[in-house]
Amino acid sequence: MPKEQKKPSESRRNFLKVLGAGGAIVAMNGLNPTQMVRAQSTGTTTLLDLIPEAGVGSDVLIRMQNDLHRAMLKKPSERHWVMVIDLRKCVGCHACTIGCVAENKLPPGVVYRPVLEKEIGSYPNVSRAFVPRPCMQCENPPCTPVCPVHATFTNEEGIVVVDYEQCIGCRACIAACPYGARTFDFGYTYTENTPVAVGKIVGKDTADNYERIANDEYGKSYARPDDHGSPIGNVRKCHFCLHRLREGQLPACTTTCIGRATLFGDANDPTSLVAEMISKPNIMVLKEELGTKPKVFYLV
Amino acid sequence: MKKGSKLRILFYALGVLTLLAGIWGFVLRFTIGEQGANYGSYIPWGLWVSMYLFFAGIAAGAYMIASLEFLFGIKLFKGTGKIALWGALVTLPIGLMTIALDLGHLERIWKVFLNPSFGSIMAQMVWGYSLFFIIILVSLWVVIRKPQAKLIKPLFIVGVLLSIFLSGGVGAFLGINASRVFWHVGLLPAQFPFFSLASGAALLLLVLGWLAPNGDENRVKQLRALGLMTIALAFIKLFFLFTDFSQSLYAEVPDNVQAVKAILFGDGWWLFWFIQIGLGTLLPIIILWIPKIGQKRYWAGAMGLLVLIGIAVARANIVVPGLLVPEFQGLSTAFQGPHLGNTYFPSLMEWLVVSGGVGIAILVFLIGAERLPLWLTKSSHVPEAEVKQ
Repeated sequence: MPKEQKKPSESRRNFLKVLGAGGAIVAMNGLNPTQMVRAQSTGTTTLLDLIPEAGVGSDVLIRMQNDLHRAMLKKPSERHWVMVIDLRKCVGCHACTIGCVAENKLPPGVVYRPVLEKEIGSYPNVSRAFVPRPCMQCENPPCTPVCPVHATFTNEEGIVVVDYEQCIGCRACIAACPYGARTFDFGYTYTENTPVAVGKIVGKDTADNYERIANDEYGKSYARPDDHGSPIGNVRKCHFCLHRLREGQLPACTTTCIGRATLFGDANDPTSLVAEMISKPNIMVLKEELGTKPKVFYLV
Repeated sequence: MKKGSKLRILFYALGVLTLLAGIWGFVLRFTIGEQGANYGSYIPWGLWVSMYLFFAGIAAGAYMIASLEFLFGIKLFKGTGKIALWGALVTLPIGLMTIALDLGHLERIWKVFLNPSFGSIMAQMVWGYSLFFIIILVSLWVVIRKPQAKLIKPLFIVGVLLSIFLSGGVGAFLGINASRVFWHVGLLPAQFPFFSLASGAALLLLVLGWLAPNGDENRVKQLRALGLMTIALAFIKLFFLFTDFSQSLYAEVPDNVQAVKAILFGDGWWLFWFIQIGLGTLLPIIILWIPKIGQKRYWAGAMGLLVLIGIAVARANIVVPGLLVPEFQGLSTAFQGPHLGNTYFPSLMEWLVVSGGVGIAILVFLIGAERLPLWLTKSSHVPEAEVKQ
């Protein structure tokens, strides 16, 4: 068995990070997400109405929220979602990874956005590079044609999605992805095998429930059942937080990035921040030679 | 096979033991599920996919061997076709079983039939092998029940073509993954029909050498012919290995070099050198080359078994090294969790399930070989004049 599979304490540590980051997301938004949805559905005040206009010197998050607002008014097929990651600003804090895990309630062994770390040079000229790696949402994805049952495909907004009820769990898409951007849900939970010690371990039940209640991926309700139902047994991947976009929220990795290194928006909108960024000369994509045409760009 | 013979008892005992171990494996598979496997998200396929390639290859190869009698009408192989077809019929479902147990949602397999994406090689394989199973079944039924039927040759033409294309398709199933440079070579699909034919020839060597009843005057010549075929195919396999590995190492494409070095010098180096090359290729070449030894039934059968074991290792040495090379350095350490490693050795559950498949194959094959009219008997000799009519 590989070493990585023998580390329950690592898993539990990840879970604690998840809990912390989950709280941080809500705190950073400054608003209760359920209240926002409710406001939107009543037609009185929407989340987007609460966002101030971006001005000179304002946080890029405000500008991206405005960009998102404009994009969501368009037809889905007219949007061209793009993510830009400024590697010069990434400090390797892994907040995006954990924000994503918390948002999508990812179980142990499932990760949508790891941050690769690399040490460069030799002493005394040493530095570290960090490369966050979400799904590239390729325009020519090698992962979708190999699926035997049409379970993974590019939706009308250009996002590569997985239909959990259709997926048979063959993992052909994992083998085909050149970016290692897909992981398989083996059905673990972080709270598995946590000892019961009444009065000594506080919050076990709450944590257990937190893991099992539904996430909101793809705008559907995927609770973690015990009977091996989806998404257990499925291949899972980053979807640019489509469910958040529907609610006028930026992807979790974008809002949790403390260095504002992750930018997101509609590249079809020439006034958007991402459209401006992808026209820079220092922009690049990973494994360009494969011709997959990623929609995740890196500023170097 | 004589009732009471030591080999018969040995094979039945082996079948029962491996099946018993397999039952424990099946119980684990359906209780703890894929958590009990050692493949993961960065090495998504392992022993079960390798064994799918192995058993499906035997089935395709055995059908090709059966065609020597029923399609090409080679007199020397008269009486070997039915048992070869039986071998194909038994091994194909075992291959499909191992790949089915590899699925996260086995209960949704029907979707591949009702909502297939025919652009996917995997969907093509599922449909192709289902059709192939029906063709093997019909072929066996026809050659037993209606040996004079005109349907036999057209049926075998379709079956042989299908066995070649399906073997090649298995190679394409891996080869189309352009980012896996170890697999993504044009020659990969072209190699697999040869591997299949070698598997079929080895199965027949084993069966005719160890299990066939006495009394066929052609037996020695059949073993010699199969032995020579096995030698030729062993040289072809070695040639393919040399071209693949030398091209990879000379070109110095890092991912490719890493995969080849993992085979030659990695954790499983002994599997490659001792079992795949030593016992599975070189020893059979030497033994089968020498007529005095190679024509002897027990030696021929033993070499058939060794070749099969070598091919099983060879299949794993195609599937796993192609996945060992990470998409990015540092990917497996970027986030810790179960099944996120970039090393692989099959878990006990994986071994047990394969053991169960082997057990089922041995027992079903033996029972069929004893109960079904698969062997050439004096009464089954049909005068040539009668055949012509």
